[in-house]
Amino acid sequence: MPRVLLIGSPNSGKSLLFNRLTGLSQKVANFPGITVDVGVGTLQDMRERELVDFPGTYSLQPISAEERVAVAEFEKALENEEVEQVLCLIDATRLEKSLYFTLQVIRDCQRAGKPVTVLANMIDVLDRHSLTFDTEGLAQAVGVPVLAISARSGKGLDQIVPRLQENAGVQQGRVDGKLAGAPDELLRGEAHQLARRFGPKGDVLVRSQTRLDSFFLHSFTGGIAFFVIMFLLFQSIFTWSAPAMDAVETALAWMADLVVPLLGEGIARDFTADALFSGIGAFLVFVPQIFVLTFIVGLLEDSGYMARAALICHKPLRIFGLTGKSFVPMLSGVACAIPGIYAARAIDSPRKRLLTYMAIPLMPCSARLPVYSLLIAAFIPAGTAFGGLVGWQGLAMFGIYFFGMLCGLLVTGVVSRMSKDHFNDLPFVLELPPYRMPGLQPLLRNAWNRAMHFVTKAGKIIFTVTLVIWVLGYFPNFGADLGESWLGHLGRLIEPLFAPLGLDWRYGVAIATSFLAREVFVGTLGTIFGIEGAEENMVPLVDHIQASGMAIGSGVALLVFFAIALQCVSTLAILAKESESRSLAIKMFFGYFAFAYFAALATFHVVNLLVG
Amino acid sequence: MQSLWSMKAGESCEILAYDDVLAGPYRVRLMEFGFHPGETVVCLQAPAFGAPKVYRVSNTIFSLDDEVATHIRVRVYA
Ligand SMILES: Nc1nc2c(ncn2[C@@H]2O[C@H](COP(=O)(O)OP(=O)(O)O)[C@@H](O)[C@H]2O)c(=O)[nH]1
Repeated sequence: MPRVLLIGSPNSGKSLLFNRLTGLSQKVANFPGITVDVGVGTLQDMRERELVDFPGTYSLQPISAEERVAVAEFEKALENEEVEQVLCLIDATRLEKSLYFTLQVIRDCQRAGKPVTVLANMIDVLDRHSLTFDTEGLAQAVGVPVLAISARSGKGLDQIVPRLQENAGVQQGRVDGKLAGAPDELLRGEAHQLARRFGPKGDVLVRSQTRLDSFFLHSFTGGIAFFVIMFLLFQSIFTWSAPAMDAVETALAWMADLVVPLLGEGIARDFTADALFSGIGAFLVFVPQIFVLTFIVGLLEDSGYMARAALICHKPLRIFGLTGKSFVPMLSGVACAIPGIYAARAIDSPRKRLLTYMAIPLMPCSARLPVYSLLIAAFIPAGTAFGGLVGWQGLAMFGIYFFGMLCGLLVTGVVSRMSKDHFNDLPFVLELPPYRMPGLQPLLRNAWNRAMHFVTKAGKIIFTVTLVIWVLGYFPNFGADLGESWLGHLGRLIEPLFAPLGLDWRYGVAIATSFLAREVFVGTLGTIFGIEGAEENMVPLVDHIQASGMAIGSGVALLVFFAIALQCVSTLAILAKESESRSLAIKMFFGYFAFAYFAALATFHVVNLLVG
Repeated sequence: MQSLWSMKAGESCEILAYDDVLAGPYRVRLMEFGFHPGETVVCLQAPAFGAPKVYRVSNTIFSLDDEVATHIRVRVYA
């Protein structure tokens, strides 16, 4: 099918227009980042044409590897016979930003013989301020048709299809124009002139934005607003997604109760109850968190606040090689690494995005909490210090949380200093988009798409790993005794690895199973010690561990191990998908395992020295 | 010599030139954003603690950090 390319610089309204023209639902966000996915859809009013949504770039002169890919893709597409014509979207309120790019596009299209139509978007904003836009004049100056449209209000959209139909008649390779031979420098000067001539004058468009900014970026009020907004974000992850997560678990348990008794006794029953339902449950519980977090991050982006938040935390994070845009992904990581990794999409610099990926799994996620609770209850004395002001256990919990975050920052700080390839990195020049009322419906749809992306992309891997671990734990004695299963044997096999930490095979097994999700550690230990329901009530398990006479050094070593190790198959699966690099996920897994192991070993000896 | 970074909130200036230390692609990108030599830039905000400053150039607002802004030479209007 003949194709129409849609291109435009970031935040010019490309996704919204694409959705309008195709009836599909791409993510719409008021945040200048690169649209990572290329969307394809059929034009609603011209069914015989496909519209291809190209990643937005600021120019055809790329800096980062990612921009290079986008530009190379575009040039390749221009050579493609199937590509019939190009729609170039610009933001009419910010001509300066888009015109150079537009001229480059027109030039390249003229060289390749493809007709171009320029769409000047956001015309509703100009209307609101009683400003006019001289489409005729601009069209004459650039030598291609210019249509004034608003992807939001729908104004002018009806001119697009007739225009496309007219261009469809143009024979391929026949277009040429005055720009075809122009070098970049010439275009740059030309763009600047055109922006001065046709762009809106004065600062009317940004006045209200400036007023809000003087509140949100003020050293005092801005600081408080930042704190409150981040606190709300963090709270909502827990308070909104926790009930939904419970509901998922309850629903699954209910279904299991319904199905499992029908299967009688034996392997079919055990398989359904323990592998199937817990396998599905293992990744379904993440869905509410991903949904809620994606929605809230979407709210932040679409309202325009996200860019301000990035500005506020840029300086401190830069010390560690990160950028202000790393903050929200990392904060999300404190709830769960997976939505954090998704949120890192908004980081335009590939290098900073990679560093953020490295930091996120070290943020103290909520799955670590049950493990920490168990270990702290078992090993840290309940007494208080400083005249009853601080409890040792609370202090330990705070300490291990803080330790995780610190490790994350240290890792990125060290890695960024070891590999300085500045020239492929983007400078910190952040466009502050206008504040806007977020549109709820696209945000909800986007959150839903994200959750489905997780289920379809990571579900298989997570489910497979669950199955493998179940089989290892179930055979050869059909679930009678975990200690005598293949998994138990495996635990004994790796016992020498954990022996230097003062841990026996049972902990080895529990660590191995916690790869499914860290909190599984608690349940597995319970099973091995023969304690039912250790997940709900840890007290008997705590007693048991204390009675086994394990050294406090081993307990603290385990805490440190769990703070660092990337023991989470779901995170690894999503990391591999999002970074499009399986080797990154594998390297991070083994790297963090080694880091965790040696940090735990050092802790073990230090604590033993101190206590002993 | 004054740089974009040395500006205070409320001041406006004319961009004179870029320092040579600023890599070529960065300069191009800055020009694409509208930071052309000869252009007028208004510093809207200069937050405390060395956070990136906020500038208006034509009708767009950008935030630049010191790594970039110190290398843009300007003449502050009186
Ligand atoms: N007022 C107005 N806002 C628009 C228009 N088109 C897009 N937007 C908003 O501009 C922001 C960026 O849109 P998006 O489609 O995500 O841009 P993209 O980055 O180019 O894909 C979103 O907040 C949109 O709601 C328009 O015609 N008028």
